[in-house]
Amino acid sequence: MDFSEAAKRISRKFSEKGTEIDPTKIESKLRRLVNEFGVQPSEAERSVTNELAKEFNLPAAGMGGSGKSSSAAEPKKIADVAPGEWVTIEGKIVALSSPASPAIAQSGIIADDSGGIRFVAWAKSNAPAMITGSWYKIESAVVDEFKGIASLKIHSGTSVKESEADGALIPGTVPIINLRTGVGSVRAKVIQEWDSTHERMLQSGLVGDETGTIKFVIWKEAGKEKLAVGSVYNIFYALVDEFNGRLSLNLNTATIMQDDGDIAVSGGDVAVRGAIVHMAPGSGIIKRCPVEGCNRALSRQNYCPVHEIQPKFFYDLRIKGWLDDGEKTQNILLQREVVESLTGITLDAAKEIAENNPLGMDEVFLRMRDAVLGRYIICHGREIDNRILVNTSERLKYDSREHTALLNRAGGAS
Amino acid sequence: MSTNPRDTGRREGAFEREPARRVFAAELRECRYQFRDGEDEKSPTFVLLPTGERCNRIFLVGTLTEKQRQGDQNIFYRGRVVDPSGTFFVMAGSYQPEAMQQIAKIDTPAFVAVIGKPNLYQTPDGAFLVSVRVESITVVDKETRDLWVLDTAARTLNRVETMATGTSPDRVKAKEQYPSIDVAVFRKTAYDALAQIKI
Repeated sequence: MDFSEAAKRISRKFSEKGTEIDPTKIESKLRRLVNEFGVQPSEAERSVTNELAKEFNLPAAGMGGSGKSSSAAEPKKIADVAPGEWVTIEGKIVALSSPASPAIAQSGIIADDSGGIRFVAWAKSNAPAMITGSWYKIESAVVDEFKGIASLKIHSGTSVKESEADGALIPGTVPIINLRTGVGSVRAKVIQEWDSTHERMLQSGLVGDETGTIKFVIWKEAGKEKLAVGSVYNIFYALVDEFNGRLSLNLNTATIMQDDGDIAVSGGDVAVRGAIVHMAPGSGIIKRCPVEGCNRALSRQNYCPVHEIQPKFFYDLRIKGWLDDGEKTQNILLQREVVESLTGITLDAAKEIAENNPLGMDEVFLRMRDAVLGRYIICHGREIDNRILVNTSERLKYDSREHTALLNRAGGAS
Repeated sequence: MSTNPRDTGRREGAFEREPARRVFAAELRECRYQFRDGEDEKSPTFVLLPTGERCNRIFLVGTLTEKQRQGDQNIFYRGRVVDPSGTFFVMAGSYQPEAMQQIAKIDTPAFVAVIGKPNLYQTPDGAFLVSVRVESITVVDKETRDLWVLDTAARTLNRVETMATGTSPDRVKAKEQYPSIDVAVFRKTAYDALAQIKI
């Protein structure tokens, strides 16, 4: 770190506000933090700036020392703000959510015509309570970042004034493939509804548009309603979160309007080829729960995790496994028709084996394993959650042209 | 967003299955370097191929020419699987009960597809032996064998070609570990293997 550069930067920032500080004093503070305490240089610069601001009784003067603090008074478009900046924005409150802690007075989403951002008003800030649907001018708020998501912090140095701006705001939607963490608006079709994995969860599933699909979740809250599978919605200002590298939409903050149109959802259609290198337990013939809309696989004792013992189950075929091309291994799930065509064992034949063979369902598993393991196949299907749901599949055929091409490649250039 | 593939695994956690590499017997036989990726007891072990790729698992198709049951209390099977370039030594012990049952049922000779993990051993007289611990072995047809030869030839040529220019750590390490091997010989291995398939 160039201490004298950073020190000059800090001292310049203070002299703009009419306070002269000796750069050598700043430099020694920086040196101490970095050399003795192993603090990151950028963090050191920030903490020295804040320490001095406190000492001279100035509002904390900016983060990161990027020198942007001088522009804090000019209104910015929400889409242009970046973490670490002090900003003034003008926007409309489009969502308020219940504060997660008593230290927070209000939290929600504020938007202008360029986009939306999450905000938090600290209880200590004494900011006026803002109302959904009204416009406010927020001066000298800080943008910070939590888990990669930008958020606007309204603190005691921030001024919040109701503004005269026009009340109408039509947010632009973006293709799902272009969504990034933060706040996003999409026009999408609900294509799947998933089993609730949590009692506080109202609904979760998958929405998609022409460019891709994304998981959504709605938590139980007064006034929240489920979305209908197969319907298209305009979803404005949903929270876009990231978990394990995958994005998801939290719709609790969103304004949702049903749309009459239809969307040809891109299922992320993929074709993969390779050899089947593993057939997982739970493949073969399985029993499913007969309760309307459940369809879960039952245990050997006909036990459904939700509907308990179900003696009137129905049979189904599936193969869960791994398809490997030597570079990458893909998790695949073959549905009944695909299993039948690949193994040559129909559901009826499998049922017959399961009920009459001494090994029962295991015998079906073993026969199917012997029929598919180590075989080269090509699968067409949709990728969902790192697993390919296979719609059609066929055995690869030996191609003499490929053989000739490889012979030429191996024989040439040696 | 994280771009590290190890962070973007399945929902249950960042697990990523090791791909099954394609390698001819003639190349696998030359392996002399095995290492563990990480300090953990459960970290995967890899055999480094002379063409500069690590493999924790391999997929091979060939002819099971011999199998032998060994041991009294700890029964295990040994087998020889022949490809156009040489012989793979495979084994299945009591830790692979399914593989053992599969291999017990197969009558030699037969085309078999094997998924397994390569391990490097040194015999008391100092010779090296690479043996494949079988995860699964099934009887397949000749077409699958031919497809495997094409697949393996293509993968081998890819590796030989990137070895010339590649600077990945595994390729650099392969050059260090196998200074006397000219990877061009594996181009010939691939050619000879392909030439054994009748057009």
